[in-house]
Amino acid sequence: MRIETCYFCSSRIYPGHGIQFVRNDCKIFKFCRSKCHAAFKKKKNPRKVKWTKAYRKTVGKELAIDPSFEFEKRRNIPIKYNREKWTKAVEAMKKVEKIRQKRQNNYIMQRLRKGREIETERDIKEVQRDLSLIRAPAAGMKERKAAELAMEEARESDHDEEMAEIEDGGEVML
Amino acid sequence: MVYKRRKYHYGDTHLKKKWRTKRRTKDLDQIDEDLKPQNAEKLLNQETDLDKPGSAQFYCIHCARYFINNTALEDHFRTKVHKRRLKALELDPYTIEDSERAAGHGSFNFPEKRKIETQPHKDDEVPSKRIKQ
Repeated sequence: MRIETCYFCSSRIYPGHGIQFVRNDCKIFKFCRSKCHAAFKKKKNPRKVKWTKAYRKTVGKELAIDPSFEFEKRRNIPIKYNREKWTKAVEAMKKVEKIRQKRQNNYIMQRLRKGREIETERDIKEVQRDLSLIRAPAAGMKERKAAELAMEEARESDHDEEMAEIEDGGEVML
Repeated sequence: MVYKRRKYHYGDTHLKKKWRTKRRTKDLDQIDEDLKPQNAEKLLNQETDLDKPGSAQFYCIHCARYFINNTALEDHFRTKVHKRRLKALELDPYTIEDSERAAGHGSFNFPEKRKIETQPHKDDEVPSKRIKQ
């Protein structure tokens, strides 16, 4: 049983599903459903249609380049049947799939983490800008004024003493 | 009792016909193949074919279209259709291999951008338009 890939959305095509189109230069285009076939007929570019795999990879929404993708591939090299090799291959497939899933999920999480950072930054900015909505600028004004007055008085008393000293000095000069 | 409307596709016969696969025009990847120098030369200097418009002498490679004379071709170069096509050809065309790579069979490769310009103008002028000295 061969599972093909759709030309447009790159999804899997199981036997008995979809349709294929053979162009006059012998290239075979396989489609998973009429939605993809219709889009192809309208000459849509899969890289620009948002629901396709090609779009998600070109825009960087999904992991695109990774060594784990190199295992499942059409190689066109005949291999003689060997039971041991076959069982090993099946086990390897399972392992590779597990690793690939992990990496893909990790990639998406990393991508989303950046959004979180931006969000917190934006929140901090908003709080700083609109703090007056929560805490009135006039709140605690009386206390602040009283404190300022006290400070000024203290400074003035110091100043007076200094002035007196200078005056004394002046008399001496005379 | 209200029945559901039956005819949703009234009057779109021309659309259906236009997008049928039997009327399919050249795809971008085929045109990309045509743009290679050895193929382009052949297409630009075709033999006279009386069945084609303008005897196949005035061909626009990027749009894969024949025109009846040089003025029509030159006018076409100034149209939006042509400019849009040039823009569409800027990225590497999407192929079947690309669709497999996107599905996870082999590493994906990102399309590259390149510069595409309109084909050189035809130098031979129409004799009737030449100004006598």
